Amino acid sequence: MVTPYDFNESVQHRAEYVEERLRDGSPVVGMKYRDGLLLLSMKRTQRKVFEVYDRLMMSAIGNQADIEAVRIAALDFAHQEGFSRSPDDVTVNRIVGFALSPPLKKAFGDAWASPVVFRGVFAELAGAGSPDRFATLNYDGEFAFSEDFAVAAGSSYAEEAMVERLREAKADVPLDEAIRAAVEAWALGHRAGSQPRALKAEDDDAGEPPVPLDEYIQTQMKDLVVEAAVLDRQIARDAKFRLLQEVDWKDALK
Amino acid sequence: MTSEGPAFQTTAGDFYGLLERAHSPFTQRGPAAGPGAVTEVHGTTVIAVKYKDGVLNVGDRRATGGTAIMYDRAEKLMALDSHTLIAISGSYATALNIVRYLQHAFKYYARTQLQEMSLDGKLSELGRMIAQNLPNAMQGFGAFLPVLSAYDAVTNEGRIYFYDGMGARFETAEFGAAGSGSAPIRGAFDYILKTRGPFHEMSRQEALRECLVLLDIAADLDSATGGYGKVLPAAKAVERTGVLDISEDEMNVILKDINRRES
Repeated sequence: MVTPYDFNESVQHRAEYVEERLRDGSPVVGMKYRDGLLLLSMKRTQRKVFEVYDRLMMSAIGNQADIEAVRIAALDFAHQEGFSRSPDDVTVNRIVGFALSPPLKKAFGDAWASPVVFRGVFAELAGAGSPDRFATLNYDGEFAFSEDFAVAAGSSYAEEAMVERLREAKADVPLDEAIRAAVEAWALGHRAGSQPRALKAEDDDAGEPPVPLDEYIQTQMKDLVVEAAVLDRQIARDAKFRLLQEVDWKDALK
Repeated sequence: MTSEGPAFQTTAGDFYGLLERAHSPFTQRGPAAGPGAVTEVHGTTVIAVKYKDGVLNVGDRRATGGTAIMYDRAEKLMALDSHTLIAISGSYATALNIVRYLQHAFKYYARTQLQEMSLDGKLSELGRMIAQNLPNAMQGFGAFLPVLSAYDAVTNEGRIYFYDGMGARFETAEFGAAGSGSAPIRGAFDYILKTRGPFHEMSRQEALRECLVLLDIAADLDSATGGYGKVLPAAKAVERTGVLDISEDEMNVILKDINRRES
């Protein structure tokens, strides 16, 4: 017989299973800059930042096949709507809130299905009647919207470290400055995530002090490369997405 | 629980397949009653010629319904993506629907597959749409014929294609035209080639001048073609850097010169 206790336990086990697999993910940073929105992460080889629609992009941490399934679901919904109604009807609000969240919640709650290992950030450039907007979406279907920045990382303390840095960031800066800030936020999240929990304790003698941030970034960039894209208002065509190339971030990360 | 393995359902970036699975009306062709029930709006004359940097498209702005002029600001030249232009003639409703479909199909493919659809793939997709429209066209409505212009990044040149009503695709060396006014001016293209030299060696201004004169002749010989007297034609070009709109100023400079010589 299934009791309420078993249900709680089952959900908790699934959450632990997913959280454990998200823990080492390379964080994702979303922030504003002068001409639009930026999504940035670090990768080894696989793509991390994706175009969803003319004014929409996403990035995520998690299992690659799961990210792919969510990405295709977002693309399917966006293009079907954009074709049968209008591109103006394709909004992050509809995609995240109505197309993706309910199936994620369903998969998470279904004890016979394997849970979706996914935590993502969506970015939407202001369009007809909607402002610039970010959304975060979690494996259990929980989502949240924000206007200035958004992050996805493997743990809440990694995300807190990133948010702290992004609160200081200015929205009205050129792209290279935004990239610099985003890489720093990424590094803070990645460094916080890679340290044992004990080091996060408030007292100073909990362990060795963390590696200086610049040094940490240089070390990480030996193995990882920047993956970043923008939705750029200055682009004249309908599709505002541009995947950044090395020349875009070279100077910012000197 | 079942013991089935993972279901490998691939998308392959097929937008038509997606619409079919969603039972989109676009993929459900209902039985037709036959011609005469509605007045169909038609786009008329469109021209595509090569020039030294790519392909130029020029079209009048008239749309007709039977013998009536329905609209004199119709858009008949459209960018399908950054390096592909389509010029449409015939049923305006079918053409616009298919243009919107193709724009989405190309984007959907590129975004899901993380690579551009090949030029050949795009041409086949358009051929498939024309072939699918054949039953309607046979019943006397909804027929449309496009001219497709593209800048081929592989061979580094502009290319022009036209289609027949069953979806067969033909590449042309110098020019293409479609619509009611295109037949009367067909010989004029050859006259230009033989007296002025090939289009693909002309500058954009030279090519634009020839196209505007051709359109004016088409308007003289075909009642469904609007010339440039009342509303300026539309002109677009596709070059290595992408699709560009030809400004009204650029056209006016040439038209002024044409009119000066004629008077």
